[in-house]
Amino acid sequence: MSVSAGIVQSTAILLAALSCAPLVDAQPPRPSTGTAQFPDAPGKDVVQKVCGACHGAEVTIAKGRTRQQWGEVIASMVARGAKGTDQEFAQVLDYLTKNLPVEANAPGPSAVAAGPALPVRRQTPGAGPADVQVVDTAAADRGKTVYIAECITCHGQKARGKDDAPDLVRSLVILHDRYGNSIGAFLKKGHPTQSGRPSASLKETEVGDLSHFLHQRVADTLRSGPYSKVINVMTGDAKAGSLYFSGAGKCNVCHSPTRDLAGIGSKYDPPTLQQRFLFPGGIGFVRGGGVARTRPVMVTVTPPSGKSVTGVLDKIDDFSVSLRDAGGEYHAYERTPQLKVVKDDPYAAHHELLDRYTDKNIHDVIAYLATLK
Amino acid sequence: MLKQFLCVVATAMTLIAQSLDSAKLLQPPTDSWPTYNGDYSGRRFSTLSKINSSNVGALSLGWVYRIGSGGAAFGGAIKATPVVVDGVMYFTIPDHVWAIDARTGREIWQYSWQSKGGEHIGNRGVGVYGKWLYFETPDCNLVSLNLNDGKERWHKSICDLDQMYFGSVAPVVMKNHVIVGVSGDDLDIPGYLESRDPETGELQWHWSVMPKPGEPGSETWPNAEAMAHGGGMTWVPSTYDPELNLLYLGTGNPQPVIAGKARQGENLYTESIVALDLDTGKMKWHFQSSPHDTHDWDAVQTPVLFDGDVNGAKRKLLAQASRNGYFFVLDRTNGKNLVSKEFVKTNWAKGVDSKGQPIPNPAKEPQIDGALVTPNQGGAANWPPPSFSPQTGLFYINASRGFSVYYIYDDDDKPEGWGGNDKGGWAEAMLQAIDYKTGAVRWSHKWEGSGIRSGVLSTAGNLVFACDPSNNLIALDATIGKPLWHVNLGNAMSNGPITYELDGKQYLVVGAGDTMFGFIMNGK
Repeated sequence: MSVSAGIVQSTAILLAALSCAPLVDAQPPRPSTGTAQFPDAPGKDVVQKVCGACHGAEVTIAKGRTRQQWGEVIASMVARGAKGTDQEFAQVLDYLTKNLPVEANAPGPSAVAAGPALPVRRQTPGAGPADVQVVDTAAADRGKTVYIAECITCHGQKARGKDDAPDLVRSLVILHDRYGNSIGAFLKKGHPTQSGRPSASLKETEVGDLSHFLHQRVADTLRSGPYSKVINVMTGDAKAGSLYFSGAGKCNVCHSPTRDLAGIGSKYDPPTLQQRFLFPGGIGFVRGGGVARTRPVMVTVTPPSGKSVTGVLDKIDDFSVSLRDAGGEYHAYERTPQLKVVKDDPYAAHHELLDRYTDKNIHDVIAYLATLK
Repeated sequence: MLKQFLCVVATAMTLIAQSLDSAKLLQPPTDSWPTYNGDYSGRRFSTLSKINSSNVGALSLGWVYRIGSGGAAFGGAIKATPVVVDGVMYFTIPDHVWAIDARTGREIWQYSWQSKGGEHIGNRGVGVYGKWLYFETPDCNLVSLNLNDGKERWHKSICDLDQMYFGSVAPVVMKNHVIVGVSGDDLDIPGYLESRDPETGELQWHWSVMPKPGEPGSETWPNAEAMAHGGGMTWVPSTYDPELNLLYLGTGNPQPVIAGKARQGENLYTESIVALDLDTGKMKWHFQSSPHDTHDWDAVQTPVLFDGDVNGAKRKLLAQASRNGYFFVLDRTNGKNLVSKEFVKTNWAKGVDSKGQPIPNPAKEPQIDGALVTPNQGGAANWPPPSFSPQTGLFYINASRGFSVYYIYDDDDKPEGWGGNDKGGWAEAMLQAIDYKTGAVRWSHKWEGSGIRSGVLSTAGNLVFACDPSNNLIALDATIGKPLWHVNLGNAMSNGPITYELDGKQYLVVGAGDTMFGFIMNGK
């Protein structure tokens, strides 16, 4: 069928183009067709399996990140249902860090101020148009000086508007703009400036620089923006945290500040420490980016006639259970009413606490744990 | 063939559109699945019973269809509920549409849209009307294709890509209206629902989730600017009561989503169930599932329509298992609340008010140093469709109980976009069977593991079909929740299951990852 044939052909051309160009400097741009691919490199199959179960490659490859940032993305995906073994997540982390580094998101060579709309790479995580303006940070820095000289008094420091002056982050003139083409046309019509200089007299390069600065303010508000980090979790009372640790929290039943938790305040930064103590079974990252070790769930299976086997839980559902014993041997069973299965989750007590902590308890405990340097 | 086809489609649509009274609501078509939800009620209940709790053990694989034959070529997962008319099944992933034979799974045609961008996270499927098909693209177009050969008839822009809107929802055709919603959760933009002409794609009406200054509801916003950028995306297909000529819609979260400092107030009509006149788009009533939400718990979960007895009176009802963990039952003639009850335990509300709306606890709003909240951002329910069985009187939802910590990242007085988020988490998953009369969980089947997001189907064969977190498609006894049959699909079911009967054989079809599975009852 002609519809089908044409598509197959164009898809094939697109895929060929993608596979020939290294992702980090893919030119011409990746059209956003949902057919984007992960870079060919060791670990790609694991990434496709773990990430591809829910979303296409495009969502993942839209933005480069540091190892720490990729770790946070993976942790967040695990909480949203991503499935994999610790080993697989570690492979995914290695693959993403190596093949989608933060440079993959660096501005392209398109820093032509006020030029025509150039074909550019996507910089947002999937959202927005394929020809979105790529912010040139040097141009944005120059644009900041124009903004401070002519605009900031009315539109505010973050360009979010003040009093009667519109919010430029939400302005359709800005959102429809590419490299100054809309902003320039708008200013040509005449607009008040701080210096009293006629807005139409702004040079093309100044308008282009201003465009980069304002698009950068828009990008600031995205999930991937510079504000996307925990500000401060150290608001609690360390003494109250210590009392909770040995009192109502009963943390001291399993933990000791001088043994297993010695130095925990140095090992993790406070926001990570907060996450680790609330959700110790999740994937976590120590200072510097290494993967925190988690203890596996153990399981003991007892068949109706036969002796018990204990080991690390591999998989379990309503119908089967599998494990690896201390010798590394794999055992699998069909689950029947006669088969006794007892799970031992080392973090079960932590999960039960989720229903009991107050937020004050949490902040106090963090303040206390952070003192264990 | 075409003529016969037209006739069948027309008959099916007419049956639904013209004469769907309370009795007909209980008798949806059995040889087709003509809308996203199978009928306008959103119950996803089939009267078919050739597959039933006595013989489901003999349910067999009939066919398999993998998109793009190579599997990986298209990426992503089938999140569309297929539409079946005249023995042909239509479904989508973002930018791509397939027509396959509903008896054999063989491809008939495939269509691809050349995209100009947009979020490609998922597409919920197609709407059909006469000989035409409608679907939305990530780059903000409504596209109409010829059902017979997949050739494009026209396309119309329905949103602004530069504002980071995108199309993902399945259009639903109600009378001569193509109902389209919009998606977008990056910038602060207003949500809306539109009715389009099925022949031309031209706008018939536009309903804005946000009121205009001075209109009722505007008092729930601090100022006109916050209101004009207040979010409320229309992510999920609406349901419809032809007798009342009312369309029912759940609206999305307010924006800025997490950091709500500059939008104090209840933020109507975000996170609300609203009833709109189908022909004019005028709102008749509203009920707000989550006033002033700051947790991304859009209330777009299918508003399910059925008739029943509550408090001793026979009523036209509407039920929603909302992302915030509450199950609501309303009188759908006037929006009056009858039941509000948690279907999983939550920690964010101080109770419900006199209108039946939960009262958010300000201490559980996102905080700079973090607030531990359940449900997590993924919610107790999400877009995957639930099911209601009039046979058991139970509302089935594949639920999640998760915890995460919500943070404010941008402490500006006017945070915008994503000035906060949640992190980390632990969750458990279960299939809940809820008694609609009280909201009590009649039975709960807890799954091993967590993170499952699959739709649910119930049938007159006393069966419920759902997926567990280990990729098992499971048939359970609808009355008591006991698993009776299962098959491991290798991927999690990524859409809602459907069923239909052709040539005397009942089919069950589910999508999992890049593969559509057709099961068939060959035996008696």
